[in-house]
Amino acid sequence: MQITENSKVKEKLYIEKLENGLTVMIIPKKNTQKKYMMWATHFGSINNTFVAPGDTQQTKIPDGVAHFLEHKMFEQENGTNSLDTLTALGVNANAYTTTDHTAYLFECTDNFYPALDELMDYVQNPYFTDENVEKEKGIIGQEIRMYDDYPQWQVYMNAIKNMYKNNPINIDIAGSIESISKIDKEVLYKCYNTFYHPSNMVMCFAGDFEPEQLLEEVKKRLKPIEPHGEIERIYPEEPEEIVEKEKTQTMEVSMPIFVIGIKDNIKETETKESLVKKHIAIQILLNMTVGKSSKLYKELYEKGMLTGEPYLEYEFAENYAHIAITGQSSNPTEILEKIKEEIKKLKANPIDTNHFSRIKNMIYGNYVREYDDVAEVTRMFVSDYFKGINSFDYIELYEQVTPEYSQKILTDIFKEDKMVISIIKKDSTNENN
Amino acid sequence: MSYKTKKLKENIKAHLIQTPKFKTNLISIFLTLPLSRDNVTKNALIPAVLKSGTKNLDTQEKISIELENMYGANLDCGIEKIGDNQIIKFYLETINDNFLPKQENLLDKSINLLLDIIFNPVVEENHFNNQYVETEKQTIKRLIEGKIDNKDIYAFNRCIEEMYKDKPFGLYKYGYTEDLETINEHNLYEYYKNLISNAKIDIFVSGDFDDNKIIELLNNNENIKKLSDREDNHIINNEQTEKKTKIEDIKILNESKDVTQGKLVIGMDIDYYKENSKYAMCLYNVILGESATSKLFQNVREKASLAYTARSNYVRQKNNIFIRCGIEIENYDKAVQIINKQLEDMRNGNFTDEDIENAKKYMVSGIKTVADEQDSEITYYLGQELSGNLTSFDEYIEKIQSVTKEEILDIANNINTNMIYFLKN
Repeated sequence: MQITENSKVKEKLYIEKLENGLTVMIIPKKNTQKKYMMWATHFGSINNTFVAPGDTQQTKIPDGVAHFLEHKMFEQENGTNSLDTLTALGVNANAYTTTDHTAYLFECTDNFYPALDELMDYVQNPYFTDENVEKEKGIIGQEIRMYDDYPQWQVYMNAIKNMYKNNPINIDIAGSIESISKIDKEVLYKCYNTFYHPSNMVMCFAGDFEPEQLLEEVKKRLKPIEPHGEIERIYPEEPEEIVEKEKTQTMEVSMPIFVIGIKDNIKETETKESLVKKHIAIQILLNMTVGKSSKLYKELYEKGMLTGEPYLEYEFAENYAHIAITGQSSNPTEILEKIKEEIKKLKANPIDTNHFSRIKNMIYGNYVREYDDVAEVTRMFVSDYFKGINSFDYIELYEQVTPEYSQKILTDIFKEDKMVISIIKKDSTNENN
Repeated sequence: MSYKTKKLKENIKAHLIQTPKFKTNLISIFLTLPLSRDNVTKNALIPAVLKSGTKNLDTQEKISIELENMYGANLDCGIEKIGDNQIIKFYLETINDNFLPKQENLLDKSINLLLDIIFNPVVEENHFNNQYVETEKQTIKRLIEGKIDNKDIYAFNRCIEEMYKDKPFGLYKYGYTEDLETINEHNLYEYYKNLISNAKIDIFVSGDFDDNKIIELLNNNENIKKLSDREDNHIINNEQTEKKTKIEDIKILNESKDVTQGKLVIGMDIDYYKENSKYAMCLYNVILGESATSKLFQNVREKASLAYTARSNYVRQKNNIFIRCGIEIENYDKAVQIINKQLEDMRNGNFTDEDIENAKKYMVSGIKTVADEQDSEITYYLGQELSGNLTSFDEYIEKIQSVTKEEILDIANNINTNMIYFLKN
């Protein structure tokens, strides 16, 4: 196996691409009781149009298929459910779907190999029937309803819709009650056969493992499979411009919540290294603008306009990228104006190097922290993998992010005409006071 | 790995969890007080005001700058309700010195900083800073009003509030907006002085360090020196003190809010006590509704397709089990009927030895991983400390393993529904 080592966090990554195309990553962690593993496929909610290997025709699928498939993978032909089987082994099993991948996972202290047997067995053996697909619609319907009642999710999705006109990131990961009603076993098999080929997947482990030995165990459990051609992923053309500057929805919340978005676009020429550096620079800049120790945060907090530190994030995948600033405020539009002003000020002056290196230290600390928990380590390596990134790159490259470089990112990305705001507040006609 | 405690003063205790496996050190300090209607809001306000500034770093901005310079040390404080106690909690997490880009002594620095935040705040002529108190009153007001923002948790809290009307456990941990009007920088400071002389104090340090050095550091810290011995007046809650007799009529409460999905909460009382019965209760709860193989998950979700979430949780300190699920509003009767059937099946012993074995594995695996996360290990030991007896992980596992079907059946036949709460539109 190929080994990369990071001397700062004192961890090693063992990685190997198997003959069938599957990538296996192992991060050995001595002293931990917990073992964590994840098998993930590069198939998420944004992959709703594609040409499957061997096909000439495009396939367009209903919204929510990747997530629906995730629910149905546990069902077995002999009538058992793998989630039950894994739970009965005393392991904690789960699965989730994001915009660009679907992951099946478990964590355990004992019974690791029996659990690995089960997980690898169910991911390689789908069993969908008309009946079991129908039954799942009620359960997923309630999952969708649950999200309908989460103002935080609604405000986020509205911000995404404000930024993206055509990109399928603007569709709920679970789809809608209407769209899932159209899902049948045929479409599930079609997507399974297209996206669940080992060459489109990654398997990652963190815990007290002997890497070479574990790799052999993985190989033993893989079914023979024919090689697979390229999957052509079709994404609609997305304009650089935003869709709408502002959207307000009413829900019963104690105080308005908001997401401020800044749309970015990933250029095809962008290297993985430059993506990582850009990500780090944006994190620093966001913290300098409205992070905990910034002048602006102090002002807004003291005026009672912000109730706490806003969440500052840069999210990206192969075909989208944006900043999201999430918070709660009595006056979100005023916050947007203040942030715009602050960005102008930052642009007009050279970067305060003290402030800059302080935030850089903080970000270093945050990266190191990620390595304490086997679950976090695995999730991080897997989601970065689908972006073509080795998570160690963040620690390797953070030194190279300079104030000058960040100044350039500030000019390139923090643009007013790319900013949107989404707000959820309560209906003022129902106000009691 | 080792866990040691050391009495610093009467009812001020240091808990040292020495472990090489993390890249971080975590310091947690807990001030424990009995919950009371009179003090609940003041207690909620205290940590918010304290993190506004210390004598040495007198603004929140200066504290934030210091934390960033310490490689993004995480400061967190808040309020917890554990049984009939209110806990004011403070956390400071820093990178272990071995993982810093250059040599520094962050652990000592962070212990001193956290003690300063709690015991050496900005004080002006015998009162707190007026602006800090006023700003934080607004913050707490929003936290209190924010209880409607997550409807699942809101429904759960409402059920507890109604089951424990006029009792300490029914209090909302952040207090009440009407109290805030009467609080000012003078009376809050008076209250604070009283609080730090009377609260039970537990100081936890988890990470890679030399025990003796930490004890020495704590003993020599000026803030600790100033503290005096105190009486222990925290409330001990356990299965014995909280044994609940059956109530005459099940309380049914329907409320309306702006929701698309109905939130059903069923609160149940456990009318049972025997030595070590809490272990059987844990297993009862896992079989009923905590795991994916549980009766609720299998029957409400998988078989009837009524819900995405359908689970139960056991609140040991108060001897309650709460069932919670999110359902279509018109499916209320169907869901309640299916849930009742599960409770009846439990009473009739309709669960297998395999169910018990699975539940045991579930619990054992949970216990074994407690020590893989610093905050969950601290929470475990704090729980032990407050309950007044220490059970090691091994003993805990052993006691789970020795539970019999009869013991679980006894519990099943002594659990009574107290309240059915439903939040709809």
